[in-house]
Amino acid sequence: MPAIELDGVTKRFGDVTALRGVDMAVDEGEVFGFLGPNGAGKTTTIDILLDYVRPTAGSARVFGHDVREDPRAVRERTGVLPEGFDVYERLTGRQHLAFVRESKAAGDDVDAVFERVGLEPDAADRKTGGYSRGMKQRLVLGMALVGDPDLLILDEPSTGLDPNGARRMRQIVREEAEDGTTVFFSSHILSQVEAVCDRVAILQDGEVVATDTVEGLRSAVDVGSVLTVSLAAPVDGVAEAAERVDGVESARSDGATVTVTGAGDEKMAVLTAIEDAGGDVEDFSVEEASLDELFAAYTDRTGDEQ
Amino acid sequence: MSDAGGDRSGVAVLDEAMREQFTWYVVAKKEFNDAVRSKGLWALSAVFTLLFVLPAGRIWWNQRSSDQQLGQQALDIGMQFFISRFYLDTVTLLVTIVVLFVGYAAVTKEKESGSLKLLLSLPFTRRDVIVGKVLGRSAVAAVPAAIGFGLTAVFFALTPFTFKAGVFLWFVLFSLTLVVVIAAIAVSISGAVSRNLYSLAGSVFVYVYFNFAWNSLANGVGNLLSNNLGIGGPARWHIVLFLKLFNPMQAFKTLTNSVLSERANAAQTARFGMFRQGETEMQTICADVLKGQPRTVQGMLGNQTVCQGGGSGVPFYFSDAAVFVYLLAWIAVAAGISYYTFDRVDL
Repeated sequence: MPAIELDGVTKRFGDVTALRGVDMAVDEGEVFGFLGPNGAGKTTTIDILLDYVRPTAGSARVFGHDVREDPRAVRERTGVLPEGFDVYERLTGRQHLAFVRESKAAGDDVDAVFERVGLEPDAADRKTGGYSRGMKQRLVLGMALVGDPDLLILDEPSTGLDPNGARRMRQIVREEAEDGTTVFFSSHILSQVEAVCDRVAILQDGEVVATDTVEGLRSAVDVGSVLTVSLAAPVDGVAEAAERVDGVESARSDGATVTVTGAGDEKMAVLTAIEDAGGDVEDFSVEEASLDELFAAYTDRTGDEQ
Repeated sequence: MSDAGGDRSGVAVLDEAMREQFTWYVVAKKEFNDAVRSKGLWALSAVFTLLFVLPAGRIWWNQRSSDQQLGQQALDIGMQFFISRFYLDTVTLLVTIVVLFVGYAAVTKEKESGSLKLLLSLPFTRRDVIVGKVLGRSAVAAVPAAIGFGLTAVFFALTPFTFKAGVFLWFVLFSLTLVVVIAAIAVSISGAVSRNLYSLAGSVFVYVYFNFAWNSLANGVGNLLSNNLGIGGPARWHIVLFLKLFNPMQAFKTLTNSVLSERANAAQTARFGMFRQGETEMQTICADVLKGQPRTVQGMLGNQTVCQGGGSGVPFYFSDAAVFVYLLAWIAVAAGISYYTFDRVDL
């Protein structure tokens, strides 16, 4: 049984159509990235899963429970870090976790949760009215973990987190996944999801334009990586030599720097070709396709087909 | 079970049983605990105690320091006098304001801040949230009110006034029921609208309407029926009385007035007391609506109609039990409001 199933989900807010027939299935135990630019409909999709928002058409199920018929069953098994939330500013962090613990009839050690999400003990005993955005984010991530949920839904979880916090968040996602928890998380930044996700769906303009592994997506759209090679000194003909390697789309030299696109898995062959042509390779770096480029590629491709 | 488990207090056992039995319980408990933590509960208790003890205390103090002692008869009905003269209005005009203020932001504040998203990510349905908030906020208003009533009871027991426990307990029961009804209405409005401000406006409207406008509405409908539709006589006054009783404030007042009187036809007299009409109308109301015996007596302000028991007695649909049901029905009305609004909208 899939952890999450969306079946032709359409949502209109007045004249605005936020989702257009979204079909998606997330398997139990996988880490699923939900990617898309701001305004693509990611939060609306998550709001439908949590029954905050009702679909205009279509249906959604979590662990087989229809989210509209049985929201309690969904919420019992799910931990959520929503988007646009606020905490109860008159309660301490500890009181927040105690409330979740009681609500879910869970027996978690509150201190262990605080340590896990990186909230200091003295912060835990302060009222959350004085918390920074990042601290609130950590607290709510901790609340989502209480009761060992079978599904974690994280909506833009890195918002407000410093690089340390973001790293810790990814670490928690990995640990939970090892534990068998299904993780569904949305982001508009590819680098955040590609490090942890098994599969990714790309949402654009209310439609799922692709569902695949991160590598699968890359090869599918063929916006291969960009290889930048620094030479000790400018050498004529290296770009042409690189371009002759199979799979390379283009190569050009600019002084002592050679930029090669589409090298993909043939990086070593390209470097060898450059050396054979007389270039003295000092350094090289590979830049993977960014999410923006992936989006652009998908948009272009769908544009071509029309 | 360990020894510690065996020693668990009754409160802890009850707490767990409530949690397992009622899905709204944790929400209600949080609402109440938040009020305890904010010290608001104690402030409210002090306010209610002052509101109830002050009027009786002042009169008792004045007569005590003067030469004229209250007669035995005055002491005997003193408590009933204070309830009907002061406490009815204290409850409908002041306690209800407090309840509306305690309840109006219950849902809208969480909608505006976004904490509702956290609350609803936990295993609660929207109905649990509404029910939990109605009961939690009712308790926030009812517990201080009960403390105020308790101290008032102590006051009557300690002073020469006769303390009639039965009468007083009915008054407390009706008052606390009204508290729950008003809390249910306030929280339902809060669930129905998107912003704090709208909810406040709705609560103010309810307060003004129930307290000051409903009676004219009921009488206006009566006039309309009589003048434009030709529905006069008993039928008209039946409808007017029903309308009056559908106002929770009026239902509360007439119920309490009924238990304050220790006479046989108390309910009849209490319902009759809800009307101020001309002599002919009053006779119709007494004889045909309340099934009593009208009698005209000479008063200082001219002829007055009084309604005495007799005949078949007050019809069941105007009895105290029925009026209490009409009062409770408001909780269902509030639940309906929240079902058709909060339960159906996108957050």
